[in-house]
Amino acid sequence: MSKKEIKNSFEHSLTRLEKIVTSLEDGGVSLEESLKMYEEGIQLSKECIETLNKAELKIKQLTKDLNGKLQLTDFEE
Amino acid sequence: MSDDKILTVTELTKQIKGVLELGFTNVWIQGEISNFKLHSSGHVYFTLKDTGSQISVVMWKSRAAQLIFRPNDGMKVMVRGNITVYEPRGNYQIDCFQLQPIGKGELQQAFEQLKQKLFAEGLFEEEYKKPLPEFPQKIGIVTSPTGAAIKDIISVLSRRFPSIEVFLVPVKVQGIGAAEEIAEAIDDLNKQNLVDVMIIGRGGGSLEDLWAFNEEIVARAVFASNIPVISAVGHEIDFSISDFVADLRAPTPSAAAELAVKDKNEVVELIRNFCYTMSNSMINSIESYKNTISNLTQSYSFNKPHDLLRQRSQQIDELQHRLNRNMLHSFSMTKQRTQFLSARIKSINPKSVLKRGYAIIRQESTIVSSVKKSIPLKSATIEFYDGIINAEIFGREKNVKKRD
Repeated sequence: MSKKEIKNSFEHSLTRLEKIVTSLEDGGVSLEESLKMYEEGIQLSKECIETLNKAELKIKQLTKDLNGKLQLTDFEE
Repeated sequence: MSDDKILTVTELTKQIKGVLELGFTNVWIQGEISNFKLHSSGHVYFTLKDTGSQISVVMWKSRAAQLIFRPNDGMKVMVRGNITVYEPRGNYQIDCFQLQPIGKGELQQAFEQLKQKLFAEGLFEEEYKKPLPEFPQKIGIVTSPTGAAIKDIISVLSRRFPSIEVFLVPVKVQGIGAAEEIAEAIDDLNKQNLVDVMIIGRGGGSLEDLWAFNEEIVARAVFASNIPVISAVGHEIDFSISDFVADLRAPTPSAAAELAVKDKNEVVELIRNFCYTMSNSMINSIESYKNTISNLTQSYSFNKPHDLLRQRSQQIDELQHRLNRNMLHSFSMTKQRTQFLSARIKSINPKSVLKRGYAIIRQESTIVSSVKKSIPLKSATIEFYDGIINAEIFGREKNVKKRD
């Protein structure tokens, strides 16, 4: 489960961010709580944008060796 | 034949071979396939027949691998090849280097039959379609490592959402054995379970070129996949069986990549909007708190003590005013009374009696108010209203009560 969460950390962050935005928009949160959420939201958005901007596409090739065992190698275009 | 010569079997066969192999090169023959056999060596053997005759066909491994579809018994095909003679057995056969189904009709029919069958089984049902992940981190691609499709997909992915990992499973996408490789690749990706979504497909081509994606084995593998599958076979107008079974059909491999991931810039824009909305909400909520506070400080109940104070102060003013008025009144009353009294006092001033003819006699500064109090042979003063007379008392005589 936790592995899956790490796998989709970007989506997780974005979902959390979306939740915060909705909560802040709807109101009904105490001022103290909303300030905390706001800080968290800004932090999350920074992280997400960083993730989006820094990355370069990684390409691996999944092939079978002679014994039919799957192996990962770098793919050269 | 004057020059009769007895030939050996080999000599004859060699001559036949020469005649046949030179006389029948690059011929097109049409017929129906029977006894189709894919040998483990990779060579393909079958018999081509029509109602009147039949001929053996061999297709060597190197050419069989180029096959764009899977030949089946009963299929009507066109064969191009050279006649060869197999000397050890004295057989002749066609060395086939091109094999085509006759017209599109045959393949189309096979396509429709499989489509009907799988549809009846429910493989295309909407309820089996898995939703695609919104933000996949790892994408599997089942296609040829050298085709146009992989280049297109990689180019779109790097442009739109480069913060992902791509796992290419290289397969043959056409020719004999392609369908098996594609199906196996789908299974392998499921076994490895390291991707969030997979794209299977290839670039454009003829119906024959795309045929592997119309094979039942591929359809079954797509259906069995736990990982969502996007099928992108050929061009926009091409529909394959895998398109129908897949969780999503993309018109082209490039489109598949676009459907698989969002545009990075759009996501950045979305996040920026989130930030804007958050900041706005914060500003609004702080503004609203400020308003609430200001409303409270202006409310009646909050201001009641102040109001009471003002009321009291007004009361004091009023009282002071009344007090002043009363004081003035009582002052004037006192004044009147004083005037009245002073008039009265004036009226009882003994000196005013003097005017009426009375006088005050004093001896040694003491008023002589009776005969008894007078001192004979002593000086006295007699005060009139307009002055004093110095006198001397000579004698005194008390009043005698008269007897009536």
